[in-house]
Amino acid sequence: MTEDLMFQDQIKDVVREAYSHIETGAGRLAAQQLYLDAELASLPPGAVDWALGVGNPVRHAELRRGEVVLDVGSGGGIDTILAARAVGSSGRAIGLDLLREMGERAERHAKEAGVEAWTEFVTGEMEQIPLPDACIDVVISNGVINLSPRKSRVLAEIRRVLKPGGRLCVADLTVNDELPTELQTSDAAWAG
Amino acid sequence: MSGALAERAFARKIEKMGFADVWIGERIPYGVERAALYPLFTPPVIDLMRELIPPERQAAVAVSVIAKATKPSG
Repeated sequence: MTEDLMFQDQIKDVVREAYSHIETGAGRLAAQQLYLDAELASLPPGAVDWALGVGNPVRHAELRRGEVVLDVGSGGGIDTILAARAVGSSGRAIGLDLLREMGERAERHAKEAGVEAWTEFVTGEMEQIPLPDACIDVVISNGVINLSPRKSRVLAEIRRVLKPGGRLCVADLTVNDELPTELQTSDAAWAG
Repeated sequence: MSGALAERAFARKIEKMGFADVWIGERIPYGVERAALYPLFTPPVIDLMRELIPPERQAAVAVSVIAKATKPSG
């Protein structure tokens, strides 16, 4: 129903605009509610400061050594780095983000974390993932699918890039009561 | 947050797109105070949430979940 209140392109522009103007993520206080102290202590401070997710998908993804993981909406790279550590250097972790500057930021964090050799960040839209068919073992994502006005398309793209038998493990927001109309049409409430 | 689906609708959408073994768990309430930690929620929006959302709902305006599913092998 909310999709009727704002046009899809307008929503996309709002989200892109909002993310390109923020100067930090939710920071350590929010991250402490989602990640273990040991995880946070092992991460570059910048990756923690730039955390914008709503859960900890890596904790639930049952990642194995050697697997190829795609993090859809990788932001500052916190989950991509944790995934890279879980799959090890025989695996690969790929972060996908709409914003090139976010990917560059995540690259710096991955380097600080020492996982850059088997981690890469690509720029692109989750509705059109710039990767070939059936190349990914596990797709993770953290608080990002709700931002898309075309969720079916996002899920179809995730299915396309997953190998047969591949897994999806995402953290995302759900609502059980409809939000007031003023919030449904608020730019910031769409981006957040 | 305005684009979030109801949990059941989210699970159905995942199934409809061809995934199997859909599992939803680890539900974490996401209230106004938590939203205020995120820079994407501007102060005016947080004020609007406090004004428009009934006080009894403000501690769980949304619920963050973990959704898991598998792409069938066949």
